Amino acid sequence: MPHYAVTAIGADRPGIVAAVTGVLMEQGCNLEDTSMTILRGHFAMMLVVAGPSGSGPAGFEEALAGVASDFDLVVAVRAIDDDVPLSPEGEAWTVSVYGADRPGIVHRVTSVLAAEGANVVELTTRVIGSEDRPVYAMVLGVTLPPGTDGAVVSRDLEELARELGVECSMHPSEADIL
Amino acid sequence: MPVRPVLRLPEPVLKEPAAPVERVDESARQLAADLVDTMRASPACVGLAAPQIGVSRRAFVVDVTGHRRADSCHGTFVLFNPELLLAHGPVAAREGCMSVPDLTGDVRRATRVVVRGLTPEGEDRVLQVDAFEARAVLHELDHLDGVLFLDRVDSAASLFPRRVYR
Repeated sequence: MPHYAVTAIGADRPGIVAAVTGVLMEQGCNLEDTSMTILRGHFAMMLVVAGPSGSGPAGFEEALAGVASDFDLVVAVRAIDDDVPLSPEGEAWTVSVYGADRPGIVHRVTSVLAAEGANVVELTTRVIGSEDRPVYAMVLGVTLPPGTDGAVVSRDLEELARELGVECSMHPSEADIL
Repeated sequence: MPVRPVLRLPEPVLKEPAAPVERVDESARQLAADLVDTMRASPACVGLAAPQIGVSRRAFVVDVTGHRRADSCHGTFVLFNPELLLAHGPVAAREGCMSVPDLTGDVRRATRVVVRGLTPEGEDRVLQVDAFEARAVLHELDHLDGVLFLDRVDSAASLFPRRVYR
């Protein structure tokens, strides 16, 4: 079955998920991995769905047009490659970065990680605090390639954090299988 | 007896409350041996409950020997009809389950626990466990009530794809 990435975002209100998934169900799609959250009052949906054979992204966008208009959503559907590996191998770590908001925090932190070959597998950022003293908070899930020394990556990040004037810490987040 | 296959979702037995072990007899001891053998067959496995090998009976094995987060450690122990006597000091930590492949979740569990049950020799045993051993005991106790870690994840943001499968 072909897979599609469906994204939708719009001002949050009750009923968005039910409406969007209702259309996808009518279209014969099966929801697989999804992530949905509120970003600054907007509900953002990212869904990977399996569609019936012979389907195409344009048909789904057309089918979703009514819901998009009812809920004032920006909707996009794209075909995705079925052959990509499901998850990178390596050691799971969590990185936390927070401090006074300033441009470039995400870029600088992820550049250090990329230079170490670390793969960002999840990332959430939030601007918190008051408007005159905004605080930027970011938590990243990172997979370090086998053989990478977490302590080295941690030291590099701490160095960068000092330069940026933010706090940074990193800890292993390998789950215990019981 | 041999290593048994570890059942995975959506096997219905994983969601059923298990029945008590009526008598600590030869078949109960066999179940205990199977639990130990099956747990040891997976190097990362620190505990296993009878429903996970398809036996809906109140029995589990735990062994956290050598685990980095363990404090108390009672070696390998099997308990029949275990009862939770005391649990306090909840802490969230990420855990996964042999029966729920591909996912892990942050679950809040007590870090100091007293549990009581029968040994395979038929003796009453009371164990005081803490830290990771407490987490393992509580996770296995849940299995006996048909409860999976998925039923206990802290929030929607606390569920993660398992990144490494060993």
